[in-house]
Amino acid sequence: MFEQQLVNGLTLGVIYALIAVGYTMVYGVIELINFAHGEVYMLGAFFCVTFITALGMPFYVAIVAAMLCCALLGILLDVVAYRPLRNAPRLAALITAIGMSIFLQNLAMIIWGSRAKPFAQEAVPAYLAETALEWSGVHLTWLQIFILGVALVMMLGLYLIINKTRIGTAMRALAQNKTAAALMGINVNFVISFTFALGSAMGAVAGVLVAVYYNTLYPTMGYVAGVKAFASAVLGGIGSVPGAMVGGVVLGVAEALGAGYVSSLYRDGVAYAVLIAVIIFRPSGILGRAVVDKA
Amino acid sequence: MKSGWCKIALAAMLLCLLASPALAAEPAIAVAAPLTGPAAAYGDNVKAGVDMKVAEVNAKGGVNGMKFKVEYFDELCDPKEAATVAPKIVRDKNIVGIVGHVCSSAHLAALPAYVRSGVVAISATATNVAISAQNKDKSGKAWSFRDVYRDDFQGKFLARYAKEALGLAKVAVFYENNDYGIGLKDAFVGEAKKIGLTVVGEEAYVKGAADFTPQLTKLKAAGPQGIFLSGYYPEGALIATQAKKVGLDVLKFGADGFDNADYIKLAGEAAEGTYLSTPFIASEAGPEAKAFVDAFKAKYNRDVDYMSANAYDAAGILIQAVAHVGVDRAKVRDFMAAMNTPEKGYKGITGLTYFDEHGDAQKPAFVKMVKGGQFATAPKQLK
Amino acid sequence: MLAKLKPVLFVLAAAALAYPLMPFSNDYLLHVVTLVLVYMVLAMGLNILPGFCGLLDLGFVGFYGIGAYTSGLLTIHYGMSFWVIVPLACLNGALWGVLLGVPTLRLVGDYFAIVTFGFAELVVLFLTNEIWLTRGPLGLPGIEPVSFDFTWLNPDWYFELIGEVPYFYLAVAMVAFVWLVMRRIEDSRLGRAWFAIREDTLAAASCGVNILRYKVIAFAISAGIGALGGAFYARWSLFLSPDMFKFWESFLVLCMVVLGGLGNIAGALVGAVVLIVLGEGLREILPILGLAPETRFLAYGLIMVLIMRFKPAGFFPAIATASARNPLIKDLKKRLAGYASGEKSGTAA
Repeated sequence: MFEQQLVNGLTLGVIYALIAVGYTMVYGVIELINFAHGEVYMLGAFFCVTFITALGMPFYVAIVAAMLCCALLGILLDVVAYRPLRNAPRLAALITAIGMSIFLQNLAMIIWGSRAKPFAQEAVPAYLAETALEWSGVHLTWLQIFILGVALVMMLGLYLIINKTRIGTAMRALAQNKTAAALMGINVNFVISFTFALGSAMGAVAGVLVAVYYNTLYPTMGYVAGVKAFASAVLGGIGSVPGAMVGGVVLGVAEALGAGYVSSLYRDGVAYAVLIAVIIFRPSGILGRAVVDKA
Repeated sequence: MKSGWCKIALAAMLLCLLASPALAAEPAIAVAAPLTGPAAAYGDNVKAGVDMKVAEVNAKGGVNGMKFKVEYFDELCDPKEAATVAPKIVRDKNIVGIVGHVCSSAHLAALPAYVRSGVVAISATATNVAISAQNKDKSGKAWSFRDVYRDDFQGKFLARYAKEALGLAKVAVFYENNDYGIGLKDAFVGEAKKIGLTVVGEEAYVKGAADFTPQLTKLKAAGPQGIFLSGYYPEGALIATQAKKVGLDVLKFGADGFDNADYIKLAGEAAEGTYLSTPFIASEAGPEAKAFVDAFKAKYNRDVDYMSANAYDAAGILIQAVAHVGVDRAKVRDFMAAMNTPEKGYKGITGLTYFDEHGDAQKPAFVKMVKGGQFATAPKQLK
Repeated sequence: MLAKLKPVLFVLAAAALAYPLMPFSNDYLLHVVTLVLVYMVLAMGLNILPGFCGLLDLGFVGFYGIGAYTSGLLTIHYGMSFWVIVPLACLNGALWGVLLGVPTLRLVGDYFAIVTFGFAELVVLFLTNEIWLTRGPLGLPGIEPVSFDFTWLNPDWYFELIGEVPYFYLAVAMVAFVWLVMRRIEDSRLGRAWFAIREDTLAAASCGVNILRYKVIAFAISAGIGALGGAFYARWSLFLSPDMFKFWESFLVLCMVVLGGLGNIAGALVGAVVLIVLGEGLREILPILGLAPETRFLAYGLIMVLIMRFKPAGFFPAIATASARNPLIKDLKKRLAGYASGEKSGTAA
């Protein structure tokens, strides 16, 4: 049973990680907790299903299209909601993010209705539902392998973008010092918008994977997932991209093992208890840059 | 600038002070339900049922020359919001009664206002046992009714059905950690003990969760022959598919929370063979019910579920009361309280509805099952 | 500007206080106003942390829930009087504030925020799952209303507060009390220490401010006020359910504080009025505009974004009001204005 719980936790964890990356990148460059990110994740799933059912796109094409749409949405969010507040108090942007989250969630509810929808199952390649591996009671479907694989590829791609490209260097420069970066000739607004686009595309993939995995999507799904992903990002050290990946996996596994061995009622409780414990002992998260309390 | 904002704030407050009830003289029925938020789908069901009934009555010319209006009050199934809309409903003197609330906790939070001011509420869906003890004023008059059975009845019924009709000996229970899931589960487990049905495992989940594999993996280890899913269909569909994924391929049965065509859509093949209890089966009801089912499908392009059916009858009961005694709120209540024998009951599409002194209805339960991707009446019914 | 408004505000306050006694008063409005008053208390309580100390607290609702359930359970099981329960609930809230604060207040920035958030979630989970104590998701119905028990003076003198009117006055009294306490603290040694921590923790520490102690005190007072709001809420609504204390409430109160003007007590009050009236007002306005009730929160979110867009520092930024009150700053401003005009004429000549 332990192995099965571990597999379950891992699958859940990489999805949290994919969403958490979006939080942490935005936080890294503008120190904003983008609460609307959970909604971008939800919209990713809805876009994908709409493309499949309304436009008849094939599954993989629809995923890419949803990623593009969410990337645009991310840029739009930044330009419309956050850019005017760049020099305002930090909490003002946080409240704006909460407002955008409410707005997008209700917009989705009006467009697609409030009831849960199945994913367009007919478009999903059939082999995904089959069992790939089975040993000593552990089931692993192709879908789970697909999710793990996609997540891995995305993370690797992200790592390359951040560390090996010019724009990635610009992002890192911005994270260190916005003014100095601007003085070096970096187009700050462009880089921030790019960060939003990248994070939102990752969120969209997570949304599609979740919708396929559970075969369900509904307008309020971004709420809980967003919160968990935010917790993952902090757990790993907010602002750190590898930290978000580790944080997501740790949280997912803690949740699955907590539900399996402690009490399913305190499933989320176990996740938060782990979070609090880790932060008390490592005050800047697992992989975060050490922030020293000035006092 | 500053005084400008002050003025706007003051104007807003004044607007609220001056906002007075609408002047139209048509009697209205209030629908207090979650129209937004996570439970909006349930609110939509109830709204659809009431809308249908009122539209039908109005199309026939109303009752005694009066046409009915429906006023919607969104409360998100949130007790705080419910307690806020309750006095708003009470204030609108055109409202003769309320269909709602949808969730038991919202209903309980709104009750003090209804009881204090004397408006009758009839819920189509609130099944919590605690309501029976909280709906009376000082003189013992009940102000809240429901045309749905209580959790304890349904839980017991399902335990007996599992043992007698399905022939199970060992079952596991997977319940949603809310008033509905717990109320059902407690009744089920209590009855199971009495009739010698072994409950090998109990696990819980929270609303909105998407991953149930840890609990299911645990339940699988207990080796049940059947699993009782005590909750609602959106999570239920996920559980059904995930149970299949972890290899827990046993008989599944649930309660009326599963009675929604979306369950089959969401769970697909995994839904096959699920039994569920429901207060409403079109084939067991009369020709009127058939007409309702068809009209509903034509209007909303989805299959009717018990919530809409119950809400349709709940609105019908209120309208019948108004037809007999007029729009006086106290008289409407007295009329409904007097519907206390089968002879005086209301004959609706969900069968006969009559109330006991707590405002609870004695409704029969039916069993449906998923067969070939559709709901079908189960071969064995328990009387 | 504020001075000019003062008589107007005074008349309005008097009118508001007299309103419930008028024959045309209605329960719905009173309910909403009382709700606003409860949120005013909560907003003032939360304001201490992000406003005075610069600590982001996303779990304020946890203390609100602790206060509410302390009040509800003591009423149901021991039939205690409201007047005994209120201090007990506050103490319980403050106790948890200290227990949470001591190990976590060393954390900085958003790490602290997420810990408070986790705490609030744990409180909700506890309330939901410990059914033996709280009845869990079944809710806690049948809480007795507030009463005055003078039967020891005269056997007939037992007054139960029923309806919205007495609770309105009770809530007004509560807001007035908390407001007074906050104003006194703001200008005290304690308040100055908090401001110092907010502006520059390092400088405050080198001036001999015991950072952790003052932060813990802030946390405890904030938690105690949250619990006070909860204690009142339980006896007013007569029903509790863990759903009432979900993290959305924390965000709502935080939005009030920021929207009103961070660190400003009057701002917290205004924020509570704006957000609650907005939610209820939209109920009235949307049908008039021909929009479906489903669009209520769409508009709500949009308006929140717009307010922040055009008033990023909230309605009453703390600095602006502080400078409007402080005679020294007023004097300085006047003189600066004088210099500026003098300079201009100087260059022209």
